[in-house]
Amino acid sequence: MVRGGGDGPPHDEYGVGVVALTRRLAAAALVGALVLTGCGSIPRDPDGTLERVRASGTLRAGASPGGGRVSVDRDRATGPEVDLVEDFAGALGAEVEWRPGGEEDLVAAMERGELDLIAGGLTDQSPWAGKVALTRPYATSEFDGGTVRHVLAVPLGENAMLFTLEEWLDRRAS
Amino acid sequence: MSRGGREGRASFGATELPAEQADALRRARRLEWVSLAYLSTGIVVVFLVMGSSQAMKVAWVEDLLSLVPPVVFLVSSRLAGRPPSPEHPYGHHRAVASAHLVAAAALFAMGVFMVLDSGMGLVKAEHPPIGTFHLVGQTIWAGWLMIAAMVYTGIGPVILGHLKKPLSQALHDKVLYADSEMNAADWRTAAAAIVGILGIGIGWWWADAVAALLIAASVVGDGVKGIGNALRDLMDGEARTHDDREVHPLVNAVLTAARGPAWVGEAGVRVRDQGHLLHTEVFVVPTAPVDVADLEALAASIRDLDWKLHDVAVVPVTRLPDAVRSTPV
Repeated sequence: MVRGGGDGPPHDEYGVGVVALTRRLAAAALVGALVLTGCGSIPRDPDGTLERVRASGTLRAGASPGGGRVSVDRDRATGPEVDLVEDFAGALGAEVEWRPGGEEDLVAAMERGELDLIAGGLTDQSPWAGKVALTRPYATSEFDGGTVRHVLAVPLGENAMLFTLEEWLDRRAS
Repeated sequence: MSRGGREGRASFGATELPAEQADALRRARRLEWVSLAYLSTGIVVVFLVMGSSQAMKVAWVEDLLSLVPPVVFLVSSRLAGRPPSPEHPYGHHRAVASAHLVAAAALFAMGVFMVLDSGMGLVKAEHPPIGTFHLVGQTIWAGWLMIAAMVYTGIGPVILGHLKKPLSQALHDKVLYADSEMNAADWRTAAAAIVGILGIGIGWWWADAVAALLIAASVVGDGVKGIGNALRDLMDGEARTHDDREVHPLVNAVLTAARGPAWVGEAGVRVRDQGHLLHTEVFVVPTAPVDVADLEALAASIRDLDWKLHDVAVVPVTRLPDAVRSTPV
């Protein structure tokens, strides 16, 4: 008898293979479930932003004038987005420590870990998307003859912070 | 569904396929169409949920790439079916090795790209952000959707791969084999991506990039192996099994058959893989003057060993050429 291959009778092989695989997938699912229940809160922040805000009672927020959402007058930030951030901080049991500045300064400060949030009339078209994490749009408005979708920014990869903020924005919208 | 009516005879070039192979070819074609449909849905699903996870991106690219082998299989198995002609005296069987090379080179190039891309993310310590979805009044972490998508794209190919593997052996089709291997490995890709996303979930920003690197490295490995195997066939290396693990047992069988007749003193064979079929040259040193009819009878008996043996030429010589296989492997 002449046959190619060293895999043995083909039908045996795939019959056993599928059974073994199903078992393996089931095991993987089980392990996954254990990991999930064991870890309680997912997602977490690699740098602990959310925990720090809650523990210290201070939300360090950058304010950059823009989009009619944020105005800065002599180091005092005002506008609908400023009110929004203060409400959010309140929900976390924190006070906002505002830091006015240009967008680029604030983004750089956030990358250095000096800011927890940026309110600057940012939209979902923001070019800072690769440097900071933008929320889903929480509101739309007419600006400069088009519809813009407003977002806030939190530090890149601080996913618990992002999750908590987006969840809060969703609840507030409904 | 009755197909009995148009039981079309399948052939590779001038070689008509035995019933088992004709059936395997039909099933393989059907499986590849199913693969294409399934993979396409997976590609759309993963694209919709991938966000900025590096491992998801790499898994998505791998899904895109896994379209290549089914496509080249469908094309090459059709091309290989064309009959030989004076312009293509050897038929079109090399379509298989060419397709094998195309698929392997695509794997390799994308693997290298993904290794660099993921490695860069790791070096620059990019922290991947994963946001949320708002679904029926619930805010859901997008990571869960990504994991669900990976489970979906992981399961189908594994089953398809295990169904294709025995067919690739029956057809001696290396493109189909490479495809089945890639499918069967898909669960590893999916699992690595899931681990990466869970890693992000528990605050290990690097887990995602590491998972992506592992997936990409295995893709590069598959590419290198595939390129090597395809090139060996294109450069007329000695025929190997469909999985390229060992020299094809038919080589020994041909040699044994060639030594069979009493008038054969010494015998040597050269067997190369043309794609599905093995092009077979047999050199014999007769001990006495030999009839053409004897030579032809020997060629026919060798051809009857296996459907894959094709273009069997028996050449009488006074001395065996150098570097032919004259002792069993």
